[in-house]
Amino acid sequence: MLLTGKNAVITGCLRGIGKKTLETFAEQGANVWACAQHADEEFEKYCAELALRTGTWIKPIYFDFTNTDDIKAGLKAIVSDKQPVDVLVNVAGFTKDAIFHMTSMEQLKLIFEVNYFSQILITQYITKLMMRQKRGSVINIASISGIDGSHGQLAYSSSKAALIGATRTISRELAQHGIRVNAIAPGVIDTDMNAVVPANIIAGHVKGMSIQRMGGSSEVANAILFLASDLSSYMTGQIIRVDGGMK
Amino acid sequence: MENKLKTIFATSLDISENLVTDDLRYAEIPQWDSVAHMALVAAIEEGFDIMIDTEDVIDMSSFEKAKQIVTKYL
Repeated sequence: MLLTGKNAVITGCLRGIGKKTLETFAEQGANVWACAQHADEEFEKYCAELALRTGTWIKPIYFDFTNTDDIKAGLKAIVSDKQPVDVLVNVAGFTKDAIFHMTSMEQLKLIFEVNYFSQILITQYITKLMMRQKRGSVINIASISGIDGSHGQLAYSSSKAALIGATRTISRELAQHGIRVNAIAPGVIDTDMNAVVPANIIAGHVKGMSIQRMGGSSEVANAILFLASDLSSYMTGQIIRVDGGMK
Repeated sequence: MENKLKTIFATSLDISENLVTDDLRYAEIPQWDSVAHMALVAAIEEGFDIMIDTEDVIDMSSFEKAKQIVTKYL
């Protein structure tokens, strides 16, 4: 198992890539603070069963990503456990698509609040703990749209581009403290986020890929696992595309 | 609290405790640069078992300010 004895903070655990990452990490021996936007009974039950099955502890932590005080309260709950934090995976994020000229400033600011500012705040807190330990791995979930741009996704793609820039900059500052910072840029992945995209749009994307299908969240989670583990000990500041070879 | 904080400053910045006065300011001595500042913050957090907000990390520009900030978290 690649993460035995390690403790990880993962955000966005309610569904999709975050949930699959939680499952993958627990199966690989990690204890997890599983962060989500709101309390959910089904999710608590899921965490309890997963912890029992894998012999790890999984602690749901809830905070509103648009509320700084709420985020700080959630982070303080993690700090108060007085356990080392070995891995941080910033998965939480959302999109609300609109063409450029129909993207309001309000919408842009909201998406940046969740997809970028909250991730930076969380990373500032958690990496302060990692600095004391002189070790840690941070994985940011960006997107290919943050690299290539994406029609109708100004707010989302630019928030992910910001996260990519932050990944590179933070990696340079924290390497001296034994902390690696990398990002995954998923392509078209079979999650709730893409379930609302019209089938013809998805088909058009798939046609442009070398591997002609949508990706699975487990395939993204496996890449996250690699960056979290010591298998990637000489990697930092990298943005890894997991996109089936999109052109 | 003040004596403990003074010791943390002296140890972390590798300076004599005599130099740790209210007038000691960030970036006014070579020992207190941005890298040392983060190590100092870590030492204060560990020493007092507190977690300092980023705004206060930025505001902690002198020993006097540090005393005010730490008091807020105790």
